[in-house]
Amino acid sequence: MAVAALLDAVVVPYLTFGFFSPRLTLIAVVFAAAPLRDLQAVLLGFFGGVLLDALGGDLFGVGALGGLLAAALAARASAVRRKGTERVLLAQVAGIAVAAYGLLGYTARWLAGLAVPHLSEYAVWGILPDALMNALIAFLIGGWLLQIINVKPQHTWESGG
Amino acid sequence: MGRKKSTAASGLATLFILCVASLALFTIYVKEGDCEQGGDCGPLHTVQLGAAEVLQPVRSIFATVFSPVTNTGERIMGAFDNTREQKLEREVRETEELAAQASRLERENAELRELLKGQRSEYQYGPLAQVVAPVGDQFTQRIIINVGTQDGVEANMPVVIGQSTLVGRTAEVSRHTAQVMLITDQMFAAGVRIIPPAKFDPSSGEISPAVTDEDVSYGQGLLGTDLEGYLGVDLVSTSARAEEGDFIVTSGRAGDKELLFPPGLYVGKVESVSSQDIDQFKKIVVEPAMNPQDLEEVRVITDWAGRNG
Repeated sequence: MAVAALLDAVVVPYLTFGFFSPRLTLIAVVFAAAPLRDLQAVLLGFFGGVLLDALGGDLFGVGALGGLLAAALAARASAVRRKGTERVLLAQVAGIAVAAYGLLGYTARWLAGLAVPHLSEYAVWGILPDALMNALIAFLIGGWLLQIINVKPQHTWESGG
Repeated sequence: MGRKKSTAASGLATLFILCVASLALFTIYVKEGDCEQGGDCGPLHTVQLGAAEVLQPVRSIFATVFSPVTNTGERIMGAFDNTREQKLEREVRETEELAAQASRLERENAELRELLKGQRSEYQYGPLAQVVAPVGDQFTQRIIINVGTQDGVEANMPVVIGQSTLVGRTAEVSRHTAQVMLITDQMFAAGVRIIPPAKFDPSSGEISPAVTDEDVSYGQGLLGTDLEGYLGVDLVSTSARAEEGDFIVTSGRAGDKELLFPPGLYVGKVESVSSQDIDQFKKIVVEPAMNPQDLEEVRVITDWAGRNG
């Protein structure tokens, strides 16, 4: 997560083209929060987002809320997933989380009195392609991310093992 | 069963609390200002400035690594809008032009370095600053430079290349780094004048005294970038003189902030001028003198003659 936030702050400005930029922290949050319980997932999302806010120069709080939303969506989606479909499902969640983050960022800039494009224009040329591209990125690196987070559950007295 | 319910409830309660916390962070961040009033930063801005300081060496490394990638990317993007045959022809031409281009760039580089050494007597410059890296999101055009409050740099100071070619202004400044809002950022604004080529020398920044005559009506307006990304001058009266190829220089005003920039800083050239009968103002598109991709060394003007009236 920290590496993703660091890459977001340092590398992503070079990979931003128009309204599209990779949202590595959000993708990392989605994949990291998926196997966790609700409480752990939202805490992870929130603090991951705070890290993104602190390292970046954008409006503080937008990353925290975006991370929180991404984690909550990932945790809910993981509850209904079927075996073998995690990668596709989480890529979709990443796309939705990025779209929500884009909308949050837009609203925050508007509330802060900063310049924003027309919402319809931004939704079509900004949010939509950004979400699709990030979903694709999430799908491509998803296998690797799932390998990292896929730890075998420990047998404890809670699981009856 | 009861345990599961309580876990779900606590998760929902935490989600709600953290949502409120996020909104509180956003509100505090916006309310605490942007470090531009008397250099007094709130805690959240201080955290971001501290992170920028810590990340500066990492950004420098990535800037070096990405420099050839960025240049290659630009060339590739430029090649996309051609057919295969045209692309091959251009590759041949490019190969032939490479040697000439290299020597020209070398000469230009030497000239720019000479310009950076030079200083105009009426301006007080900060130390020569290296551009560390671009920062920001999709809506901003900002860079980080390696000078800060320790070098006498404060927020809202003009940043130039050469003697007087305007690049932008400082925004958030920490001890060793400063964020520069480029002239192509949508939040940037500066009062400018439109001057015919015969009356201005961009290399020296000298304006002909005739420009300041009362009976001469050259165009004046507000420089800014619109949401489509075009740099232009707004609020120029249709009766004022403004033609393609004219120079754009600062007038010394920026909105309600008097003398935010000294008069006479070179911004760029008029690329196109248009207006219709129903328009109150001319629509002027500006070709900036600086290219954000080419910025390597800049200088902050920390003070100038007549700044305080």
